[in-house]
Amino acid sequence: MPGYQGINAKMLQVPVGPGHEVFSKRGAMLAYTGPVTFEPSATAGQGLGGALGRAVAGERSAMMHVRGQGTVLFGHGGLHVTVVDLSGADTLYVEADRLLVHDASLQVGTMFMGEQGGVRGMVRGAVTGQGLFTTTLSGHGSCGLLSHGGVMELPITPQRPVFVDPQAYVAHRGQVENRLAVSAGMRDLIGRGSGEAFQLQLSGSGVVYVQASERKI
Amino acid sequence: MAQFRLNGTKMLAVDLAGETIRALNGSMVAYEGQMTFKRQGMTGGEGLRGALKRRIAGEGMTLMEITGQGTVYLASEATEVTLVHLAGDTLFAESESLLALDGNLQTGVHFVGLRGMGTGQGLATTKVEGRGTAAIVSDGPAIALEVTPQTPLCVDPHAYVGHLGRLQQDVVTDVNWRTVLGQGSGESVQFRYQGQGLVYVQPAERGGVLEI
Repeated sequence: MPGYQGINAKMLQVPVGPGHEVFSKRGAMLAYTGPVTFEPSATAGQGLGGALGRAVAGERSAMMHVRGQGTVLFGHGGLHVTVVDLSGADTLYVEADRLLVHDASLQVGTMFMGEQGGVRGMVRGAVTGQGLFTTTLSGHGSCGLLSHGGVMELPITPQRPVFVDPQAYVAHRGQVENRLAVSAGMRDLIGRGSGEAFQLQLSGSGVVYVQASERKI
Repeated sequence: MAQFRLNGTKMLAVDLAGETIRALNGSMVAYEGQMTFKRQGMTGGEGLRGALKRRIAGEGMTLMEITGQGTVYLASEATEVTLVHLAGDTLFAESESLLALDGNLQTGVHFVGLRGMGTGQGLATTKVEGRGTAAIVSDGPAIALEVTPQTPLCVDPHAYVGHLGRLQQDVVTDVNWRTVLGQGSGESVQFRYQGQGLVYVQPAERGGVLEI
């Protein structure tokens, strides 16, 4: 079965068939051919426990279950779509709002920010507007991510950590540790800062996806 | 000297080896290596007189200084980036169109005069001079149109991004009774450039602010 195909920078064509079902952001369908059904899904493939976790976390972006036989076109808000293929080796960390569509074969989870960095992790989530939870995807399959202006992939290596503006951060994958780097000084407190007081520091080995804009979704 | 390169069309990558560049406040999206970000003081390197002029002209510009070793990535609201190499000449641009400047470049305010008022551009534009690279942003990819003494160029003030070279700017108006009645063609005021140089134009007409 052919994979996800970008029609243009902002539209994605996804084949659906038996054994190849997908979950997508609710309302993101633009057009489809063939007998395809769209069902609202509260669990987004996570099972009841996962759904409960998500409800508590507030990390619930309404998803729908797409199945049948045909092709579906997805797009949302004129935002750029980037396809990320997962081969089972690593986990993708992404904010639920930025997830346009993903294969039902992928395992979806919710990660508590505190798991990575304890209290500091929670502070990080609050400061960066990411919330206390983030969505994880793992296994074999593809997913489509939303960004304002397209994304750039920046490799992260143990020798070269990457610092990212929290507003421009889209997703990351691999064995990556992230923490909040604060460089706020007196100037920031009196409202004369450089606008770069907080950065996400990503170290380890993997890839981070950064968008060319500071706009959140 | 700091190396400016484009990473795609919407992101600017600058390689630094200890140099300082100036960039739009808050435009950093990512960096590798060691970087420090400092907002420029009240005068912005233009002296007390320059700051006063800027205040009067309402040509607000908030820049930060970036110093360090490594690569810094800059972008603003997914707008398209164009690099302009200056070799001693002067670039005129709107202050909100400037994304980053080489540390060697000087900025100042250039008074346009009363004609800026009708076009929503304000009374003044920012001028950038010296040797080095400047990065300007536009809503959609900007094109550079050449102006020669034989071929003057007229542009829509709302699509104007900046200009470079020995150019004379004046305003052409085509206001008639239809415009007064609100039935105009929407093209009643144009900038006309004469001389020798380049004019950067974007494929969108802004209504005061850059909007996607």
